[in-house]
Amino acid sequence: MTAWRTRAAALLREPLVHFLVLGALVFVAMAGRAPDLGERRIIVDEPVVAGLVNHHVRAFRRPPTAEELDGLIRDHVRGEVYYREALRLGLDTDDEVVKKRLRNKMLAIAGAEAEASQPSDAELQALLDADPARYAAPPRYRLEQIYLGPDAPALRAAAAAEIGRIPKGARPGIMTQPLPLPGRFDDASQTDLAEQLGDDFATALARLPVGTWMGPVVSGFGLHLVRIDQRVQPPPPRLADVRQRLENDWRSSAIRKAQDAHLQQLLDSYDVEIRRTS
Amino acid sequence: MRRTIMEAALLLGSSAMLTSCDGPKPTAKSDAAVKESEFPDRPLWGDTHLHTANSVDAFGFGVRLGPEEALRFARGEEVTATTGMKAKLSRPLDFLVVTDHAEALGGTKAIADAPRLLIRDATMRRWHDMMNEGPAGSQRAMAEILDARGRNAIPEAMLNADGAAKRTKEVWNGNVDAVERYNEPGKFTAFHGFEYTLMQGGNNLHRNIIFRDGEDKVRTVVPIDPTYKATPDEIWNYMDAYEKSTGGRVLAIPHNSNLSNGLMFELTQPGGGPMTAAYAKRRARLEPVVEITQIKGDSEAHPFLSPNDEFSGYGVAGWEMNNLLSNQPKVPSMYAGEYVREALKRGLALEAQTGVNPYKFGLIGSTDSHTALATADEDQFFGKHSGTEPSAARTMAPQNLGTRKGRFGWHYLASGYAAVWAKANTRAAIFDAMTRREVYASTGPRMTVRVFGGWDFTADDLKGDWVRAGYVRGVPMGGELKPSKGGAPRLLISALKDPEGANLDRVQVVKGWIDKAGKTHEQVFDVAWSGDRKPVAGKLPSVGDTVDVATATYKNNIGAAALTTVWTDPAFDPAISSFYYLRVLEIPTPSWPAFDAVRYKLKLPPEVRMKSQERAYTSPIWYTPNQNLGKN
Repeated sequence: MTAWRTRAAALLREPLVHFLVLGALVFVAMAGRAPDLGERRIIVDEPVVAGLVNHHVRAFRRPPTAEELDGLIRDHVRGEVYYREALRLGLDTDDEVVKKRLRNKMLAIAGAEAEASQPSDAELQALLDADPARYAAPPRYRLEQIYLGPDAPALRAAAAAEIGRIPKGARPGIMTQPLPLPGRFDDASQTDLAEQLGDDFATALARLPVGTWMGPVVSGFGLHLVRIDQRVQPPPPRLADVRQRLENDWRSSAIRKAQDAHLQQLLDSYDVEIRRTS
Repeated sequence: MRRTIMEAALLLGSSAMLTSCDGPKPTAKSDAAVKESEFPDRPLWGDTHLHTANSVDAFGFGVRLGPEEALRFARGEEVTATTGMKAKLSRPLDFLVVTDHAEALGGTKAIADAPRLLIRDATMRRWHDMMNEGPAGSQRAMAEILDARGRNAIPEAMLNADGAAKRTKEVWNGNVDAVERYNEPGKFTAFHGFEYTLMQGGNNLHRNIIFRDGEDKVRTVVPIDPTYKATPDEIWNYMDAYEKSTGGRVLAIPHNSNLSNGLMFELTQPGGGPMTAAYAKRRARLEPVVEITQIKGDSEAHPFLSPNDEFSGYGVAGWEMNNLLSNQPKVPSMYAGEYVREALKRGLALEAQTGVNPYKFGLIGSTDSHTALATADEDQFFGKHSGTEPSAARTMAPQNLGTRKGRFGWHYLASGYAAVWAKANTRAAIFDAMTRREVYASTGPRMTVRVFGGWDFTADDLKGDWVRAGYVRGVPMGGELKPSKGGAPRLLISALKDPEGANLDRVQVVKGWIDKAGKTHEQVFDVAWSGDRKPVAGKLPSVGDTVDVATATYKNNIGAAALTTVWTDPAFDPAISSFYYLRVLEIPTPSWPAFDAVRYKLKLPPEVRMKSQERAYTSPIWYTPNQNLGKN
């Protein structure tokens, strides 16, 4: 980052600059908009025509013919007349589409500062402490699984009976079905297992004891017997490991907060009366 | 540095956008730090084709979600969609490419609009004058500008002085920032990319451009927009220039060949004349993958071209009548240049002529969603654009692209995703898998599909470590089967249902070949299927149908969870070129209009698709006889 950029970044945090920027934006917005409502001249000069041509090229991948250009100009004039007359009649004030677009522009302005700012480590740490589970890596498993076939009551009963009679240290003797997935996962995260066997299977693992055949466990394919050999619960996440995600979340919520605060500030200068009959 | 007050005001005005250069830098993490597995463990799912508010048309349709929200959504966070609904992907994706239209990022118009006094650079002033002298001049100026961009020869002044290209750069840099922030090697891959929206008279020749590299390289370029009457050479020049100047890598993925009116997969050079070996070679090198299925229809096979394939014609309704802009009708003779299976066959014919196969590509699906939400599930279809986000009216609403020509909301497919057999979830590993075509397409369901081509696979291989056997004794999808001393190609095939989805009906091998007279052929073989169905007169009976349209539900009591087999080509001729790809069909399930009908209590006309058999298409495996080797 250049020194110039660093200074610019610092400037961006100055309230005075915010004021000036917003002022400039309002100025620019006003300058580009709202012709004098009494103005009765419509001037179509070369820059306007070039704008129409460019717009046409972007839409149709070729310049307009002379005839089409006449049409575009006629339409521009019509549009301008309608726009001004509509403003004179105040039609922009009760149009949902106009309101929605302007509202989005306001939101973009309100969120711009948060977008550009940088959270402190303390802020990030607080975010992490508030919801460590969200940032924790999923548990990892070493396990074996045996696929028994599609889910059916009889098969469930057979699987449960089999679990009851496996001698310690022995493998299940039940009939297994082929499934083109590994019978043994040496180091798979819960997320990997969910991707390959379905969410139900992956969440069921959390409740199983280690070192013994259990089941039936339901996957997206049917019933399984499972023996977990090792479950590794990763250590609580540290700031350095998940900084990027924290920053992303912080920024996303900072933008929302800034927008809410901005709205509140604006609301404070209004009297809102809600009058309902019932 | 001298600045006028005007420029200063503009600068202040645009300081809201300064994020691009002053935003926080992401934590440095590299692809190299992620351990690669020996063989790809599981398919990585992603979308290589997604638009956000930075695309002019997407914005026009109302989307207000930018790249950041798109990335958050893809990696599984809840976002608020444009229409105010909360949206969260039930299963996160592994990777995402935000491909906003380059034209949205272009600042060309700003040159025309800038006050002449403020333009100091002579070239730029000339362009300004050309643009303002009339349509022809404007067109010439744009051609020159885009050419200069392609050659990285934009005047320095244009990047610094007038704020025009600066805007392009700002939007691009903003995108780059977001992508860098969300790229987490090993967990979630965010690629840099854009869409090059090449169109000839409304015929779709669009390409998505995907970079393998990080911000250090991609910040040296800006996306380009096609010039009038451009051919694909324009974007290939840009890609070559990028690779040369940065040492990076970039690839292009053509899409919606079904809306090109026959121009996507021509038998000739673009514009006519015999295809040259140089053209064929360049195309094959820069475009290793084609997007076969997406919201605007499916481009695998058309019944006109494949009359003996009872499952051809998936997702062609509404798209088979006209080109993209519906300003030119389509006649059946154009289909051959539009559908992927035919293109693969044409590739063999062109290889016989030129010595190089220009259409030796892998297959992926993606959404082309313009809502910033990468969704391809029928029960939660979020629409093509924000105007078709869930609502009671959307199924029967005429669509803007060819409204009056009979395209309606229901013609959109809730499709598709890209599956990549990569050895790690990183830009490098995924990109490299794409260049070796070890990828496949799905119309939405996350089926796990593997296929290996070899000469000595047997059914016993499926009982052991068949993945290792496949890689060691054969080639995976996308690969080239080298001639052997004898026998016929054997395919080691495995298809597993989406663990959260419907059972499988069947696996098919689609074979294409060219005979000694130079004529191309195709045949579809049913090679593995559920239950104990027996083919009758060469035709496998239907799997059945459990869909209850009234409630938009189905039952998994037909079909199979997994289908595996070793298949041997029964009619192999070692002297001719051929290819083999898999098509895996699910049992019938309700389509998104059926879910809408339940949700909004709609009565829909009979032509509306209420159910379908979703599918996956793998990249082909090619066989080339000895005499043709060495020419590619």
